[in-house]
Amino acid sequence: MFTNKKEIILNINRIIFSSLDIREVYQTMSKELLKVIDFDRMSVTLITEDNNLYETFVLSKDYEYTELKEGVQYPMEGSLMKRVVQFRQPVIVEDTSKGGFLTDSVLYKEGIHSRLGYPLEHKGCVIGSVNFGSKRKDYYSKKHITFFSQIAPQLAMAIENTRLFNGIKEAEEKYRTVIESSPDIIFECTKDGEFLLMSPSVEKITGYPANQFYENRGYGLSLCHEEDQESMQREILQILNGQNNSLMDIEFRVIHKQGHVVWLSLEMVPMKQNNDIIGIEGFCRDITERKKLDELKDNLVRDVTHELKTPVAKIEMAIDMFERSITLGNKVSLGRGSQIHEILRNNVKRLKNSIKNILDISKLESGVEPLKLSDISIAALVKQIVYEQKDSASTKTIVLTHQLPSSIPIIKADRDMIYHLINHLVNNAIKFTEHGKIIISANVLPDVVEVTVEDTGRGLDEKTRERVFEKFYKETPSAFGSGIGLAICKNIVQKHRGRIWVESEGRGKGARFKFTLPIITNNLFMGARENEGIVNCRR
Amino acid sequence: MKELLIVEDDLEMQEFYKDMLQGEPFTVTIVSNAEEGIKKTKEKIYDLVILDILMEGVTGDRFFALLRRDSRYKEVPVIMASALDEKTYRCFRALGNVSFLEKPFNKERLLSEITMRFKSKK
Repeated sequence: MFTNKKEIILNINRIIFSSLDIREVYQTMSKELLKVIDFDRMSVTLITEDNNLYETFVLSKDYEYTELKEGVQYPMEGSLMKRVVQFRQPVIVEDTSKGGFLTDSVLYKEGIHSRLGYPLEHKGCVIGSVNFGSKRKDYYSKKHITFFSQIAPQLAMAIENTRLFNGIKEAEEKYRTVIESSPDIIFECTKDGEFLLMSPSVEKITGYPANQFYENRGYGLSLCHEEDQESMQREILQILNGQNNSLMDIEFRVIHKQGHVVWLSLEMVPMKQNNDIIGIEGFCRDITERKKLDELKDNLVRDVTHELKTPVAKIEMAIDMFERSITLGNKVSLGRGSQIHEILRNNVKRLKNSIKNILDISKLESGVEPLKLSDISIAALVKQIVYEQKDSASTKTIVLTHQLPSSIPIIKADRDMIYHLINHLVNNAIKFTEHGKIIISANVLPDVVEVTVEDTGRGLDEKTRERVFEKFYKETPSAFGSGIGLAICKNIVQKHRGRIWVESEGRGKGARFKFTLPIITNNLFMGARENEGIVNCRR
Repeated sequence: MKELLIVEDDLEMQEFYKDMLQGEPFTVTIVSNAEEGIKKTKEKIYDLVILDILMEGVTGDRFFALLRRDSRYKEVPVIMASALDEKTYRCFRALGNVSFLEKPFNKERLLSEITMRFKSKK
């Protein structure tokens, strides 16, 4: 029976290390083993980490049904395996009908009459056992044990390798999933600028696919905004030269494939091999949105600060001018006096106006103040505003007029707010018109009254037309005003369920600011109070 | 006599400058926007330029950058005046020989700033 024993052992050992997939090895090995050890059932069982259960790792048998299945965990207690593991010795059951293990009776029913369990040890620890079962009673003997002892260590090592390999595969799978699904750019780059890793998210953020980074040395830095390249190189050198063990929150810009600027925040650490720094690794987060918000916030703080500080500064300077005039010993001359008075008056007015605007918008936006609805006449409001603003228009050689239809329905609205709205649009028109005319007109449409403030002023380009109602939007940072006025107008119109927009043929071609307010008709009103409505309304 | 160019779009601020510099040993030219300022600097070399920062059209900081590109104005001292604080425009220090004058300022503050600028001229 043991002819070619050595050859077979060699062959089995070769098979064991031929593949890292133990199941594949097992199939080939069991066929080879059959040549030397007769068995009707063979299994490899492994102990679970807590040592209480075992799992049948692989199983082969020449019959159909079995109680003890592959991949299932069974309690150690009372099993042949427990004895094998406990004593680190092979165990033979000569007759399963008389055997003392719980598994004996189970296997006896399946026709297995004798058994051999052989411990699998790796680096001094028992990891499980190989179990043979034969339909013949009293089959296994010392010679089987001696023979198998020459295979068991290699088998144990192969099984451990498989477990290790599976562990690595699992970890690698997780790692890959993390990298592939990460919204941030994860990368590894050598000293020479060669990318060893670039996560696919780079394409979403920069527009360039990851393979372009793998294929082109130094590709990363070349996408960097030219103003940031020098500082980035400096930071990277700090890591490569070992001056810094990690750098965080380095903000820089890259130019997206489509040409726009993308802001990234970088965290990086040195990539090491045997204590030598061979490159950098880290990740980049897209912070463009945050940057935009920061910029908006900074501009807002700057603009509001400027808007509030300028009039105060000028008031202080006017007072200083006044004091100097007095200390010169003489009475303040009439000319100088009225000049100082004028400056003080203008700036107190400007300051009051700014404060009012800021308070208005916060009040409107917080919605704490309900609309004080009453019946208002748009025509009367327009006429009043034209009357009030005529003088300030004419100082700029602008003719301010109105064109109103013979009758405009009375609408329900907050009078103060609508006054503020039209007044602001007229003020704006005066501000941006040097000469020519400003016409306030109204148009009665089926459900709404449409009011237009038209000027012959500087007009708006398309970009400004889209953004002009945004809070704190200004064409240029220096543009006069706080950039709140039109945002307030929009808010007022929206509160009245109307619409506001601007039309302009472009720069230098004047502008038409238009808004609508819904007409709440008498019919609607009466519909709600059918019985008494008619009489009341006619009164 | 030293020649000063002041670029300031606020008419009231212009009045303050005129009032404070009246009788001082400088010739003062005031213009209302950066475009006019550029025209003036093309005509001659001033000894000092005082700039408002937030102006309509070309802003003071852009005007300053343009000014430094003119080889004759590489070293001319500049004072940037604004109601904003200095740190907003700190980056312009790189353009050299510039100081910040926060509004409001009084006559003494203005004159001492001008004197300091003249001293710092290389």
